[in-house]
Amino acid sequence: MDIAGGLIQGFAVALQPANLLWCFVGVLLGTVVGIMPGLGPPATIAMLLPITALMNPAGAMIMLAGIYYGAKYGGSTTSILLNVPGESASVVTCLDGYAMARKGRAGAALGIAAIASFIAGTVGVLGLMLVAPPLARFALAFSAPEYFALMAFGLSMVVLLAGRSMAKALLAMLVGLWIAGIGTDLFTSTSRFTFGRMELLSGIDFVVVAIGIFAIGEVLANLEAREEPQLLPVPKGLRNLLPTMQDLRDCRFAFAQGSIIGFLIGVLPGAGSTIASFISYGVEKAFSRRREEFGTGVIEGVAAPEGANNSETGGALVPLLTLGIPGSGTTAILLAALVLWGFKPGPLFIAENPNLFWGLVASMYIGNVMLLILNLPLVPVFAQVLRAPVYVLYPLILGVSIVGIYASSGSLFDLLLLVGFGLLGYLMRKLDYPSAPLILGLVLGGAMERALRQSLMMSEGSLGILVSRPISSVMLCFALLILLIPFFSRVNTWRVRALEQKDL
Amino acid sequence: MKLFSTLVAALVAIEAQAFTPTRPIEVVVHTGPGGGSDILARAVVGMIEKEKLVPVRMQVVNKAGGGSTVAAAYLFEKKGDPHTIGFFTGVWLTSPITTAEAKVTLRDLTPVARLVLEPALIAVKADAPYKTLRDFVEAAKKSPGQLKQSGGSVTSRDNVVRQLLQKNSGARWAFISFPGGGERIAALLGGHVNMMVIEPAEAGEHIRAGNMRVLAQVSEKRLAGFPEAPTLKEAGFDVPSVPQVRGVVAPPGIPAENAAYWEDVLRKLTRTASWKKYLEDNQFEDGFQNAAELAKFYDEFTAQMRGILQEAGVKIVR
Repeated sequence: MDIAGGLIQGFAVALQPANLLWCFVGVLLGTVVGIMPGLGPPATIAMLLPITALMNPAGAMIMLAGIYYGAKYGGSTTSILLNVPGESASVVTCLDGYAMARKGRAGAALGIAAIASFIAGTVGVLGLMLVAPPLARFALAFSAPEYFALMAFGLSMVVLLAGRSMAKALLAMLVGLWIAGIGTDLFTSTSRFTFGRMELLSGIDFVVVAIGIFAIGEVLANLEAREEPQLLPVPKGLRNLLPTMQDLRDCRFAFAQGSIIGFLIGVLPGAGSTIASFISYGVEKAFSRRREEFGTGVIEGVAAPEGANNSETGGALVPLLTLGIPGSGTTAILLAALVLWGFKPGPLFIAENPNLFWGLVASMYIGNVMLLILNLPLVPVFAQVLRAPVYVLYPLILGVSIVGIYASSGSLFDLLLLVGFGLLGYLMRKLDYPSAPLILGLVLGGAMERALRQSLMMSEGSLGILVSRPISSVMLCFALLILLIPFFSRVNTWRVRALEQKDL
Repeated sequence: MKLFSTLVAALVAIEAQAFTPTRPIEVVVHTGPGGGSDILARAVVGMIEKEKLVPVRMQVVNKAGGGSTVAAAYLFEKKGDPHTIGFFTGVWLTSPITTAEAKVTLRDLTPVARLVLEPALIAVKADAPYKTLRDFVEAAKKSPGQLKQSGGSVTSRDNVVRQLLQKNSGARWAFISFPGGGERIAALLGGHVNMMVIEPAEAGEHIRAGNMRVLAQVSEKRLAGFPEAPTLKEAGFDVPSVPQVRGVVAPPGIPAENAAYWEDVLRKLTRTASWKKYLEDNQFEDGFQNAAELAKFYDEFTAQMRGILQEAGVKIVR
């Protein structure tokens, strides 16, 4: 079937009143789930599975997918307002999003997050519709050496996340890599750094570390300032709360690269939206003319990762629907849902169930529009949160963090870890260690170690496998280029200084 | 003997009357939402509610962490609680063998019933030169360590099957661990590994689409869905067919009538039409065993696994 015909058929399915309603229910639930730290789409979808068994499969699929991509919209809200990442993919949004809120630009940050999500979400669906089968083959060409190169590329971004001291950034990254190593080793079933605690056997949840270091650390550091704290500035009027035309112009590149990088990484079963958002942020910074300002509240620093984690959804559905291969926790449950409804997800799925596939694609276009309409008016509402005085705001941040962690794991041990990482975050602020490299090491460490060991098992111990395969060698070259950026910018500073002196 | 067992069953049935749950039931699983145990538990809960076998609500609780360790410890802490049950798998038996922190073994919990056995297939990519398992093993013998198999952790069934086949044939090939089933299949379809042990439900569509070929099945008898593929024994490899087991346990120290109640509920469940359809849809084998048989199964399985893992060079802690 050709694409136009399929799409018309798809809209015929998606525009049925019942399916429109399910689409709305899905994206609304998704937004709520995304806003609440801790509760994620996998748990929500799993809880709803028994109900969906009674529904028409197309409606059910449209609703569950709505939860999946809707959550990506909501995830940025608490990152920007409270420095509490609502989803793991929104951690990197904290860096510039929260800084923007501190400068009174929370509304612009929330608005650009919704707009970037809309653009990238739509690009993700376009990709799913137009290039799914060939891209699925591209995903299969990716194996351990390519994943290692991708992670190495991601890790090279550390030079962009460093503050004043490269040594401190590298140290923080090593701590992150070490934390990633805690737990049971996949290859040998050996426990590493668990200190006899069974709670550490499956490692430390990345969200605990991120919320501890970002949110708790921030509150502790601010409590120290004993003088009368100033209220955060929140401008009045809707117009002042939304992004300006200049903001949108600044984000043009971020919209484009975030959409594409997010989609491509989403297609790979072994990567995921957190990695996509970090890499997109890094790429944005690497190409930016105002690289030094990142981390102080640059709007494209919000647009790039928020875009990437939304188009990732469209990408992640590619291997699920074209091959029946789930790449993440959420797609694994969607796969289980399809089986539960009596479908057989696999290479023949789209050809045999065109109504479901095209209905889903069409509903995702509609759902993204609904999300934009739903989220933009919420911006001024949410921005009001910051009008609260600190004696309300800080307990709120602590409460949201603690409830979020407990809701996701139900483990008191995780709360102790949260406090521990909060103290670590506080110390890192006092000693001027950047926290982003630590999180970067933690996000990439596990996958990178696995990919390296898998590669070496494939090549019987020869490191040559990493450079002899075309995709991996190209990505390793990119990593090398990124590593050279600080060197070039230093040379550039010297050159500028030399020119200035000549003028004198 | 038959009379005796009927008598026992009747007594158990009478005893079962002595207990009816009064609070909602907590159903503990060791995976996150969407994991194999989670899906089975939710399906079972759905069927029990549909057939009205239990008068109260049942709520699945995810206690993921350390393989089965966190869930097992949680059930152990619920000592004496008749309103909690848990779904176990083979991991609950192998984790304590290799992990010092996994202090609670299935022996420390109350056995209720074994429910299903999941058979497996040995599959290769459709364009691979191997037509039979013998072809693959001979190719592996010619170039030791060159061929690769994708799978889960070193203690997973995938690796156990490999160990058994290697020992039986003297061939040797590499085992590469991937954390998720999707990545294992992608590695095979992408041509990065040569073979994998795969669940029938996962493989079905890839086989139908002509992307994968089955060499043999890890099962005592041929599965209805794969009448062409020989079992390991038929393919000429006299090795035990290691099943993935799933079943139900309860916390320690609960009165005998509570355990009997759950065993009875599950026995009734396995006789329903919806259960039979569920097994057929998922290509599981009915593996029902009562509590007494289950306890015996633990010991045999644990001893067998310990031997296999020891030979595989995995560190054994208990």
